[in-house]
Amino acid sequence: MTLLVLLFWLLVGGTLQGVMPAWRHMGQPAFPILLGVVIYAATNKKFGYFLLAALIAGVLEDSLSLVPLGSSVAAFLVAGWLALRLRTHFFADKVSHAAWFGALSAATATGTMALLLRWQGLLALPLRDALWRMAGSAVLGLVVMPVLFALMRGLERRLGTWEGA
Amino acid sequence: MKKRRWIMLSALALVALVLFNLPEATSTRVKGAVRDGISPLQAAWHRGLRGLRETFRYIRGLGDLALENRALSEEIVYLRGQVRMAQELARDNQLLREQLGFQQRFPATLISCEVIGRDSAGWWQTVRLDKGALAGVAAERAVITTDGLIGRTVAVSDRTADVLLLADPSCKVAVRVARGGVFGICTGLGNKPGEQPVCRMDYIPQTASVEEGDEVLTSGLGGVFPKGLLVGHIVRVEPSESGLYRTAWIKSAADLGKLEYGFVAATETDLANARRAAEAQPTLDDRVAEDEWP
Repeated sequence: MTLLVLLFWLLVGGTLQGVMPAWRHMGQPAFPILLGVVIYAATNKKFGYFLLAALIAGVLEDSLSLVPLGSSVAAFLVAGWLALRLRTHFFADKVSHAAWFGALSAATATGTMALLLRWQGLLALPLRDALWRMAGSAVLGLVVMPVLFALMRGLERRLGTWEGA
Repeated sequence: MKKRRWIMLSALALVALVLFNLPEATSTRVKGAVRDGISPLQAAWHRGLRGLRETFRYIRGLGDLALENRALSEEIVYLRGQVRMAQELARDNQLLREQLGFQQRFPATLISCEVIGRDSAGWWQTVRLDKGALAGVAAERAVITTDGLIGRTVAVSDRTADVLLLADPSCKVAVRVARGGVFGICTGLGNKPGEQPVCRMDYIPQTASVEEGDEVLTSGLGGVFPKGLLVGHIVRVEPSESGLYRTAWIKSAADLGKLEYGFVAATETDLANARRAAEAQPTLDDRVAEDEWP
């Protein structure tokens, strides 16, 4: 059941992320909905679910953009791993903590992605632009994550798959 | 427990590395399959939104309908006259071309597509169209709207195509200024969607006649964009940093921030390939027959 719910959110996240235009400010970052699902899995679910979410979300995000396949998987792994390390110090069901998790992970994923794209010679953003975009992603993560976490948790509670406190 | 986690994490990192190094053809196939799978959801979302928008517009505009109707009728009469004139000119043009032995320059068929999405990662300025290889769309084809050029197709799956917009810094178009006949390359500025100007033309000689308001058309050089498509208008001309040349800033004719439809310029070969691909696709009857027990 948990797997089905996760797959449902990944599908919803992929669809939404593909139809929502990037934010017009701060380097035009995309809304981190798929990343949100990965971070939710990293902070609330078993380790295996986090890995599976990172893989599926990464493949989805790469397929729906011009990014080479595998890049987002790596970026989500790095951001999710960071969230996983911090998960014991925070409560993922607290709004402010979810927001900080979101900001930190979104900035990390964007930074990793900028490095990967530069390394592949596809997009060489100047350092200032990359940092600006990371800040933009952090702002979006700060706003999107608590909402997404609340929605995901709400659905899980209704379905009876919520494992948290 | 911790060791097991590290092994699993390393295994996924390895999977990412494998995905990273997949051959181009395999990677394109995988991405295409995912895109085709999710495109009906994106299309449904877009149609729903458009329906809502049009309903609101309809309710808001009920009072202006009569006036709008009259204005449209006048426009139809005017446009019919223009079409008749254009048909005559096309006939004359065709005749003269035949006499001179010219090949027709723009033999493309326009495939009408709906915009159903944007680049999900936001690193490039792209839009996704609801038609792909099965409808005759191929990569590296010009995409236009009724207003003018918007970009070129870059990634095509069976049922979708991604269009790299003029505003993206990696989109370069060979152009010509209509009045002065100056040739150059137009490069995207990477601006926010809908922000103007969207691209610039570098290395314009100091002596060339280029002014604000001049029309910029595709030159047909480079092979991707057919000759004579409207790109936009020059909004500003400034000396380049070195002072040896000038740079023109171009506002696109089409509003790249509000795209709903696009037309892909397909060649006869693209359409023939699409017909072959469609014939090769197993029909439902074939699939049922394959599934039957011997």
